[in-house]
Amino acid sequence: MAKTLSLYVERNTFIHRVDSINKILYVLVSVAIPLILPYKFVAVLLILISISFLLLAKVMRRVIPLIEFSVIILLSIVIIQGLFHAGNKTVAFHIARITFYKEGLSYAFTLSMRVINILLAFAILVLTTKPSELIEALVKKGLSPRFGYVLSSALQIIPQMMSAVGSIMDAQRSRGLETEGNLAVRIRAFFPLIGPVVMGSLIETRERAMALEVRAFNSREKKTFLNERQNLRSDNVIRLILFSILSLSIVLRVLL
Amino acid sequence: MKKIIVENLKYRYPLSENLALKGISFEVEGGEFIGIIGRNLAGKSTLCQALVGLVPHFYKGAYSGNVEISGMNVLENNISELSKKIGIVFQNPFTQITAAKLTVYEEIAFGLENMGIEIKETIRRIEYVLHLLDLEKYKDRNPFELSGGQMQRLAIASIIAMKPEIIVLDEPTSQLDPQGSEEVFKAIQSLSREGITIMMVEQKIEKIAQYADRVMLMSDGEVVDFDVPQKIFLRDDLLNYGVQAPVFTRVCRSLNIKNKNTGLYPVTLDEAYELMVRHEQNRS
Repeated sequence: MAKTLSLYVERNTFIHRVDSINKILYVLVSVAIPLILPYKFVAVLLILISISFLLLAKVMRRVIPLIEFSVIILLSIVIIQGLFHAGNKTVAFHIARITFYKEGLSYAFTLSMRVINILLAFAILVLTTKPSELIEALVKKGLSPRFGYVLSSALQIIPQMMSAVGSIMDAQRSRGLETEGNLAVRIRAFFPLIGPVVMGSLIETRERAMALEVRAFNSREKKTFLNERQNLRSDNVIRLILFSILSLSIVLRVLL
Repeated sequence: MKKIIVENLKYRYPLSENLALKGISFEVEGGEFIGIIGRNLAGKSTLCQALVGLVPHFYKGAYSGNVEISGMNVLENNISELSKKIGIVFQNPFTQITAAKLTVYEEIAFGLENMGIEIKETIRRIEYVLHLLDLEKYKDRNPFELSGGQMQRLAIASIIAMKPEIIVLDEPTSQLDPQGSEEVFKAIQSLSREGITIMMVEQKIEKIAQYADRVMLMSDGEVVDFDVPQKIFLRDDLLNYGVQAPVFTRVCRSLNIKNKNTGLYPVTLDEAYELMVRHEQNRS
């Protein structure tokens, strides 16, 4: 399988079939609501909703590494806020001589819930949406096709470049270049490696630009899309629900 | 009908002092298979790029003369417009993959989507080129998973799907192994049978001798000769232009075995074999 940077997991579920734009809207709404309604239970509720969607999409297992990755950030939030939050007054507990405060820990909990909420909402988007579909949807909504191309090609070109770096490194090693050892050795090895990589990439970019030109990339015709997605009634319903929830949260914020 | 008309084409790359093309003129009829040969820096690739409009639209530089492709003036039309009439396949199969698509099927659709071709027609054309270039079994594969020969066939398929009347191939087999080269030559042969005009730069002289209707010999930015393969490969000064006659021609020349009807040495294996058999029969 050719390497791509995509995290997309191929499954045949309702969540996978939801319009990409609706998934982006879900992310935006999920990020916005805890900010509009700054109550702990709101973020927790959204986390539970996102977890349900991830379970429905059968991709929950893929989320665990993302959460593990964020643990360090969350721990640092808890430690810093628990110790140094501006409003710290009530002592929660001591570890050795270090004192943690309730106010700080409460604030850290709110922040952590928001971070996890954002992470899970994005996970729904990236794990259940083909990058090409997402970019095509954005191009249809007015994103520049050039920018769309840069985004979608980067997902495949970067892994290809990394494999080219591996080949160049092997070639340089076979000519006696030391690439492993202390920092000084590695710095000395950097330039003979980076030179061919950069030059090779520039040449490839120029050749690929020509190949794109002759495939009518800059055509003024209105583009068509092979994977044209029919706008389903469920898409409109989902969009309506998301806008309603967002509007409701704004109204609640004003009233409460 | 004339598909390509080139009149006194001169071109100099930006920052270069020398002309890469020095007043080239020639014409090509529809359906012809033209082989372009010559040593490195003879101007073969520059000529290819001038035919598809990359020279001067992409490279800029100093340009004069007239190039008409199926009635379209290259200078007056942009590359995208020209791509409806003429397509090009480059040396490196890897850099012709757009990297924006995840399957062979979608990769072929890329140019058609840009041209705004209707989806039904797009699908029809994709199915046709997949069959023509024997890529059907790879249609769901990622283009980067293909071998060099398969990748080059995909590049050709992507261009054919755009239905150009002319295809320019700039050493399409130079980076391929013998099997990959053979795959590409077979594909080009089937295109030629479909009536597509082909301009092909190639160092594999035996292949050019086998397939080309006419051969263009280039040197130092000029067309030295433009004639049928038998006449081009008969030239005594061929080596001066960095080109050797096909091995069959050289063997028959050393044995003085000629085609009695034309008075010329054979240039293909089949022709050489036939003449040698006849020669042996006459001797015995």
